[in-house]
Amino acid sequence: MSRLLGVIDAATSVKGLQDLSLNRSVASIPFAGRYRFIDFILSNMVNSGVESVAIFPRHQYRSLMDHIGSGKNWDLDRKRDGLFFFPPYFEPNENSNVGSFDRLEQHLDFFERSHQDYILIANSYTIASIDLNEALAEHLIQDNDITEITTSSRSLEMYILKKSLLIELIQNRKNSQFISISDVATQPLHHYKIGGYEHHGYAAVMDSIDAYFKHSMDLLDHSIWSQLFSTDRPVFTKVKDEPPTRYSAESVVTNSMVANGGIIHGRVDSSIVSRAVKIGNHSVVKNCIVMQKSQIGENCHLEYVILDKDVRIQDGVTLKGTSDKPLVLRKGAVREMAVSK
Amino acid sequence: MVKKKCVAMLLAGGQGSRLHSLTTNIAKPAVPFGGKYRIIDFTLSNCTNSGIDTVGVLTQYQPLVLNTYIGIGSAWDLDRRNGGVTVLPPYTESTGVKWYTGTANAIYQNMNYLEQYNPEYVLILSGDHIYKMDYSKMLDYHIQNEADATISVVEVPWDEASRFGIMNTNSELEILEFDEKPKNPKNNLASMGIYIFNWSQLKKYLDVDNINTESTHDFGKDLIPLFLKENKRLIAYPFQGYWKDVGTVKSLWEANMDLLEDNPGLNLFDHSWRIYSRNPNQPPQYLSVQAVVKESLINEGCYIEGTVHHSVIFQGVEIKEGASLHQAVVLPDAVIGKNATVERAIIPEGIIIPDGITIKPEEGSDEIILVTNEMIEQLRKDVTA
Repeated sequence: MSRLLGVIDAATSVKGLQDLSLNRSVASIPFAGRYRFIDFILSNMVNSGVESVAIFPRHQYRSLMDHIGSGKNWDLDRKRDGLFFFPPYFEPNENSNVGSFDRLEQHLDFFERSHQDYILIANSYTIASIDLNEALAEHLIQDNDITEITTSSRSLEMYILKKSLLIELIQNRKNSQFISISDVATQPLHHYKIGGYEHHGYAAVMDSIDAYFKHSMDLLDHSIWSQLFSTDRPVFTKVKDEPPTRYSAESVVTNSMVANGGIIHGRVDSSIVSRAVKIGNHSVVKNCIVMQKSQIGENCHLEYVILDKDVRIQDGVTLKGTSDKPLVLRKGAVREMAVSK
Repeated sequence: MVKKKCVAMLLAGGQGSRLHSLTTNIAKPAVPFGGKYRIIDFTLSNCTNSGIDTVGVLTQYQPLVLNTYIGIGSAWDLDRRNGGVTVLPPYTESTGVKWYTGTANAIYQNMNYLEQYNPEYVLILSGDHIYKMDYSKMLDYHIQNEADATISVVEVPWDEASRFGIMNTNSELEILEFDEKPKNPKNNLASMGIYIFNWSQLKKYLDVDNINTESTHDFGKDLIPLFLKENKRLIAYPFQGYWKDVGTVKSLWEANMDLLEDNPGLNLFDHSWRIYSRNPNQPPQYLSVQAVVKESLINEGCYIEGTVHHSVIFQGVEIKEGASLHQAVVLPDAVIGKNATVERAIIPEGIIIPDGITIKPEEGSDEIILVTNEMIEQLRKDVTA
């Protein structure tokens, strides 16, 4: 039985991702063709044997709840332990980073009741495949109060600490003036022993559109792809019953990642194509991220564009962003060809 | 138990011996089809999409894969508190083990299961066919016609009619006669092996059939003739649409190729009639810089560096650089080595085609190759010799 209780703070807002999080929480931003950000940390927890996971969302958690459901897809629909969803009774005033004490305090009884003696608290938007047991072992060996998981000394916003310490920090927060776990981990002046666990594999923190675009394109590198999607540490997600993707006689698809249910007629190069996407005849899609159910008509030309879900590009439209500044089309957007006189 | 209007009994014990090595370890309904499905997915999805929530699946031959695959039925939304899917294998009684000796006998031995729900109607299905059908429409038809039994039929080409069980009907579609594989067919309406019975009637005649020592206890050969002899009202329900028995390597291959047509008879992309299956949960497919993929269906988890023409590729397949596939069906987790060539073939699950090997039928032959490990061993020897 795992000693770790998993806590996902899905409430931290990420300003840089606003275009993609207007109608959804950051945790449920689509990524890698068929996943949502939160799938990666959830799968890390499940693959590390964590049996109890608490998710703390902020407002606009409908898309997140719809995605997570009973937790069945992560094997977390359990009689004992399993998945817990803790919407706030009220939104804490300060906009803190990971592990807001005001937020956790609202469900303090859950922590007191849980039988696990260690807690892993993480953000929802770090993409990596990490064995959390190794991190816990390191925490115990170093005899830290708080262990921060890092990669190349950069914080992945994941922390391990004793449950009793978390409860103590929450209860003393008025005296200590610490507002969150990450606050404690970064402040120098206290007697807690803060240590690090270095994750040597691939890791990406999705804190801006730039990072989102860059790390999406990272997936086209096979060594990164195989690190994130190894067969013994699968990434679980909500399954959709889409058929295999259909390629027509005209399709030319290279250096791309394509999810199921697609119907591809045109040219696709160096792009990420999600589930149930349609790409019409003689269209070119290059260096793009196309999310679920978006439709691209015929004779279109798209470069460096991020298409959110359900975007429709009518026949003949040309749209170009740049590698530094990809164009983002919001969910449900429709683009028609400019009528020239 | 709450009474059910209609309970489906799905016969899934078929060995499918003409599929050779594909069914050495699995029953025919568990054979993979269409890039991500197993044959039985079509019947189970039809049940769910038709609003039938109670399905008994009768297994016998090599049931392990099938049992594991069906599980508690959640993939088809058949994990229900009252009803849902129940796997019904043969069982031991105080008088000894009783194998299912025929399709009717399989139902006879599971009367207890049906009695629990005391349904008005029983829908008998076979797990061997690929088709999409709304059984609720057939049930309405059965009720409107006040039939004792309704049999779903499909028009087959006259020159092929002698391969099927043919229903001879009058203009009202009342069945007058059943001809099993007739030499000189009088009609071209073939039975699809889909029957709806009034449960009270079926129960009665299953009892009669059971004590008949001459009977082979088969629906087509024994039960239907018995109903006809007793002047029961049997009605044919004409089905229009794609229907295929994938009983041979060739027909299985053809049915896969049918999916690649411009407007396939069987549309897998219809969201209003989804075909459900157990999802393998693999990452999206990756097509490399060298990949060339045309007229093909490709599933999750594939890694493609070679050329794929007019083929159906299941999940987790790896196609290496320089490899070339044409009119191939590649089952899950197979690997096609560098510069290997495969044409008009089915490659079973997990098979590894070594680098540089060529597998294709002889020029002008219409044969379809079912690749085996022995074949690969031989080809490898030929190459090194």
